[in-house]
Amino acid sequence: MSPLTVLQRMASGDPAAVRECMDRYGGLVWSLARRLTRTASDAEDAAQEIFLDIWRSAARFDASRGSDKVFVATIARRRLIDRMRKKSGEPPMEPPEALESIAWSDPANTPDIAIDAAQAARALEELRPEQRQVLELGLLHGFSQSEIASRLSMPLGTVKSLMRRGLLRVRELMNITVESAAGRPDG
Amino acid sequence: MAETGPQKQPDEAMLDLLIKQVTEGLSPEEQRELDVLDNEIASAYSRDLEHAAAAIAVAGSGDPAPMPAALRSAIEAQLQSAAAATAAAPSGAGGRAPSSTVRTIGVAPRARSRSTAGWWAAAACLVLAVLGWLRSPLVQRPGAAPTPAQQRAALLASPGALEIQLEATAEPAAAGAKVDVVWDPRSQRGFARFVGLKPNDPLQHQYQLWIFDGDRDQRYPVDGGVFNVPANADQVVVPIRAQLPVHAAKAFAVTIEQPGGVVVSGREHVVAIGKAG
Repeated sequence: MSPLTVLQRMASGDPAAVRECMDRYGGLVWSLARRLTRTASDAEDAAQEIFLDIWRSAARFDASRGSDKVFVATIARRRLIDRMRKKSGEPPMEPPEALESIAWSDPANTPDIAIDAAQAARALEELRPEQRQVLELGLLHGFSQSEIASRLSMPLGTVKSLMRRGLLRVRELMNITVESAAGRPDG
Repeated sequence: MAETGPQKQPDEAMLDLLIKQVTEGLSPEEQRELDVLDNEIASAYSRDLEHAAAAIAVAGSGDPAPMPAALRSAIEAQLQSAAAATAAAPSGAGGRAPSSTVRTIGVAPRARSRSTAGWWAAAACLVLAVLGWLRSPLVQRPGAAPTPAQQRAALLASPGALEIQLEATAEPAAAGAKVDVVWDPRSQRGFARFVGLKPNDPLQHQYQLWIFDGDRDQRYPVDGGVFNVPANADQVVVPIRAQLPVHAAKAFAVTIEQPGGVVVSGREHVVAIGKAG
């Protein structure tokens, strides 16, 4: 019988697992929250909501269906997207100078990177530059498709097409199938 | 992870909706539009695309900087409190997180912070008659670790320790309450003692202690930790857990906050406050 994961132990109420969870995912959640919120206080509120969501969903984590970090990122992104929708009437969220700050993991030299994130990093290298660019702006900086179109002076339809083809290509290169995806966090 | 058989393919319109759903979310109209499409294909592809998007997000996070320490402490305390509640729940609860009973705490945005005038205005409304403490006898079983009350008494007896009386405000939870603090600047240890403070439900709110440090911005007192008052407790003594070094403790205050406490208090519910010296 394999040892319980941090998420499983947290779901069972193990106090030590809470600290481990913060150690392991705190930076990731904070990084996602800062990128996809408008202010530091928004990010603080979001980070707290995300960790409560993680705690509530921890029992559903199945290590055979993906890495814990991608599971956590999935939960975080759901919460952040929900917050973005609710605040969609507010001004743009990120200063342009922050756009160059993405630090892509090197799948060959980052031992702690999750296997599915490493697959995603490799898959991105296979994309056309413009596909990769719209995915970065959308997924990592939280820009809407309309904002990307405006920023890149592209028709909205082109942005949608680049994003659609790019994400489908990543999915294909990661070899994600409908069957294998079945156990990830449910809504 | 090989495909196990032919899959139905979503059309372009469905894919556009699914991709928008996992990248920026759908408007209510778009969600309704998606809902009328083939639900089986849509939900399966939605999970696929969401997984790919999350994997890209992890890959793009590189080696992320740690979360700010104060925020981490607040979240960790909140989760510990929730975990303790889960562990203490009857077995019929199935060990699952009681999602409907846990509220999200809100770290008050810094812009919401007010000047210390609010604290002292609250103090001005105090019941001033603080007449002696209802002291519980200190009973210690042979070999047992000292109780917080005993540790408080020992600390009070040490040279340099300060004893500060806090005055209860007009906040309903503080009606008739008596509060004091013992603080030792040298060891950075302290205890707060409460008599008559209203019991709290830790899943609804907690009490939080604050230390005003003369060497720091008075808008941001140092978090001294969260605590609970159980039902039927005559007296509660809790250790003060200062999250930052306190160079010159000038005042102490207690507020009611959401479970786990907050990094910066909105100061809506101050229950006691007192100046040192």
